[in-house]
Amino acid sequence: MNISQIIDLENFSDIDMKKIAGYRKEDGFELIVEIEKLHLGFKIKGYLKGYVDEVEVFKFKRPDKLLVNNWQSWGPSKVIQKDFQLNFPKELIQKFGFSASIMPESYFDNLLSDYYVASDRFFVGCLSSKVAHPYFQIDGDEVSVKLKYFGMNFNEWNETETIVILLDKPEVTLPYYADLVAKENVVNISDKRLIGWSSWYQYFVDFDYEKMCADLENARGKGYDVFQIDDAWEVDIGDWTPNNKFPSLEKVAAKIKEYGYIPGIWLAPFSVSETSTLFMEHPDWLVKDGNGNPKVAYENWNKKIYALDTTVPRAVDWLTSLFEHLKDCGFEYFKIDFLFAAAIQGKRFENVTPVQAYTQGLNTIRQAVGDSFVLGCGAPLLPSVGYVDGMRIGPDTAPYWDANGPDIGHPNAYYALRNALTRWYINGIWWWNDPDCLMLRKVDTQLSDVQRELYTLVSLLLDNMIIQSDNLSYEIDDGLWNVVSEYRKYGKRKVLLSGIMSGQYNITSCGVHGCDLLSITDLEKCVFTYSKDSGDIKLKKTIEIQDDGRRFNYYNEND
Amino acid sequence: MMERRYNVLTDEWVMISAFTQQRPTNPTTTCPLCVGGDEFSRPYDLASFDNRFPSMKVDAPNVESENSLYKKARSNGKCEVVVYTVDHNSAMSLMPIHQIEKLIKMWTDRYLELSLQPTIKYVFIFENRGAEVGATLSHPHGQLYAFPFLPKRIEAKVQSLAKYYDEHGRCAICDVVENEVSIRERLVYENESFVALVPFYARWPYEVHVYPKRHVSSLVELNNSERNLLSKVLKVVTMKYDLLFQQSFPYMMMLFQSPVNDVRYEHAFHFHIEFNPVKRDKNKIKWMASVETGTWAFINPKLPEEAAAELRSVEVII
Repeated sequence: MNISQIIDLENFSDIDMKKIAGYRKEDGFELIVEIEKLHLGFKIKGYLKGYVDEVEVFKFKRPDKLLVNNWQSWGPSKVIQKDFQLNFPKELIQKFGFSASIMPESYFDNLLSDYYVASDRFFVGCLSSKVAHPYFQIDGDEVSVKLKYFGMNFNEWNETETIVILLDKPEVTLPYYADLVAKENVVNISDKRLIGWSSWYQYFVDFDYEKMCADLENARGKGYDVFQIDDAWEVDIGDWTPNNKFPSLEKVAAKIKEYGYIPGIWLAPFSVSETSTLFMEHPDWLVKDGNGNPKVAYENWNKKIYALDTTVPRAVDWLTSLFEHLKDCGFEYFKIDFLFAAAIQGKRFENVTPVQAYTQGLNTIRQAVGDSFVLGCGAPLLPSVGYVDGMRIGPDTAPYWDANGPDIGHPNAYYALRNALTRWYINGIWWWNDPDCLMLRKVDTQLSDVQRELYTLVSLLLDNMIIQSDNLSYEIDDGLWNVVSEYRKYGKRKVLLSGIMSGQYNITSCGVHGCDLLSITDLEKCVFTYSKDSGDIKLKKTIEIQDDGRRFNYYNEND
Repeated sequence: MMERRYNVLTDEWVMISAFTQQRPTNPTTTCPLCVGGDEFSRPYDLASFDNRFPSMKVDAPNVESENSLYKKARSNGKCEVVVYTVDHNSAMSLMPIHQIEKLIKMWTDRYLELSLQPTIKYVFIFENRGAEVGATLSHPHGQLYAFPFLPKRIEAKVQSLAKYYDEHGRCAICDVVENEVSIRERLVYENESFVALVPFYARWPYEVHVYPKRHVSSLVELNNSERNLLSKVLKVVTMKYDLLFQQSFPYMMMLFQSPVNDVRYEHAFHFHIEFNPVKRDKNKIKWMASVETGTWAFINPKLPEEAAAELRSVEVII
């Protein structure tokens, strides 16, 4: 293909696809591209041989508005106009460059979208990221579809990641794409739709066993499934043993179980702090730079953080033992954070791409914890499909709402909720979306009543995970918690969100009791209307298991 | 013995189940669905329960294929009996609208709950009414099969509707509804949200389809007002059937919703209900015989437009 030819997807004809197909020889590698017809569009498959750093599969004409997506949980998913320019503070590039992109060498000087882009009339996306990192380079009036292989040598013909072009509006193409990805990656989604509690957004690192016990006591009757301790319990990042604020992990888990909850624990398994014993004792387990020195993945906790090389056999054993031990202690819910660290570029024990190294690490954890619930965070999204049960799909929330803050994955309730809306369609298909915690306290927060209400309603109507993070001795918005409880009495919901390209989001969320509508006309200012479809009939379900094991579901109208 | 076997001649799965063979024909003494019968010891309003004689079970035994020619798979689905009311002598045509509305909510809950099982691919809700279609109990009830695979006719519907969408950029049933409401020739009943009609492509003499006017892919997406209107349609259609020949009219009622754990076709798959009655006259049966069974090609002896006119002329008051 002559890649100077640019496809116009807004005025598309089947003949355009023939321009993409065929054999071509590039500098160092050969590529064969095949086109297959697909409902709503086309599937593009490739075969590669030779030394490949990057492949440009095709280009298309840039539309006025484009939904772009960042590679990991915290990064923005938003609609950009033609005049959009990335505004990432230069002073943060050193600290968070690898968090912002798997390709920081290109990211800050170009306009990139990872995994997919969408417009009002079409969608282009990749169905997997198993070896390569699929991305889109938006340059002037063109969008180039690329697969980054980070300098891999294929001696034999190797199948590329599959790309799809879908021709329809986003409310059709986005869920359709999500399902294609789930099928490509053989997702068996967990039937656990959890409600829980987390310590983070109340206590941050100022959390201890005494506070945990107090909140467990105050949580009686709340109806949580899971109670999760967050960052605060460990000796150091990489040294995953309890510090002096907590007793043994067995005791922590047992205490949580006493109250009838699934014990949950936070850790950043691919991160190793410069002050940790792990760093001192096993520098050979870390991803290296070109000089063979451990490479800084990011900076946080006022420390340099290095990345575990998930291809080192002894590091893999350590990772396995770590999670098996946590499971043996009684934990069955694992919030694994800062996962992007495993996917930074660098030298590893095995000659694999950063994407392959990342999935090997995730697979190690999955094998160790079996069917326990795994919630990913700070994670490359597409390579995680099939490995996690839940996934954070936006930046950290915060006890404040700042629509003018930088949109770079930093904590902010506004951007956290924006991402929950713009990534709505993967919920219940790739995993259960975690829109981040609800803060329902009326004190010790800058969130207004209306911001709190909108956050809660969006999370509920989108049928996302619900995790509360409050000191439960504070004054809590019980009215909102009652709304949460009412919504979660009955199962799964069917959701449709329209208006993603205009930023005026209309959610139709349907369940047993009807279809509720939430129209957000101005997210920045929290302007919305909510319409609950109550109906005249409220059915109450009672379940009985008979002696022969058969289940009976009784339905009676509420008094 | 409970397993699925693959038919290499037709690319379809067959469920083999020794349990269903134990099923009673027609109980002669007490109705098992009445209070005090085999299934219920206490009063109830509506209920759905695991079939005592299932052809699929969530914990169905693991099976291994004999070879690539004779493939087997687990029958890890679910078969439920769906009881509409405690009143033995009732029927869809006799039930209060309010009770049918509750039934719709129960169907919705079953669909949603079963869809939480990642192994379930299709939830098929149906009613066999009358001995002519094999119903063994007269107590008003239907059934539900949650399949771990997409049954052949469902697959055909999905593919056909997707093909139409690709060719026209619209949902086929949305177009049918628009056309039928315009020409009115085959309409049986209509309200603000639904049409009941004898389809242009009817396979059975008095076949009626119920289509929502708005595109929805399942019961779940109907709001409460629409669920109320659907309950009225179901009541009207079944009343018309009973009044047509002044007899309890045997039919197969089948709800076609989009597959579960698969959202790829929701924009193209339009939820609908098919009534397939087996009568072609008061005392005559239209059999599913060799041609229909062997080739899937139907010969309908009744002009759909005439059947619609007859059903339309049956007056009912709800």
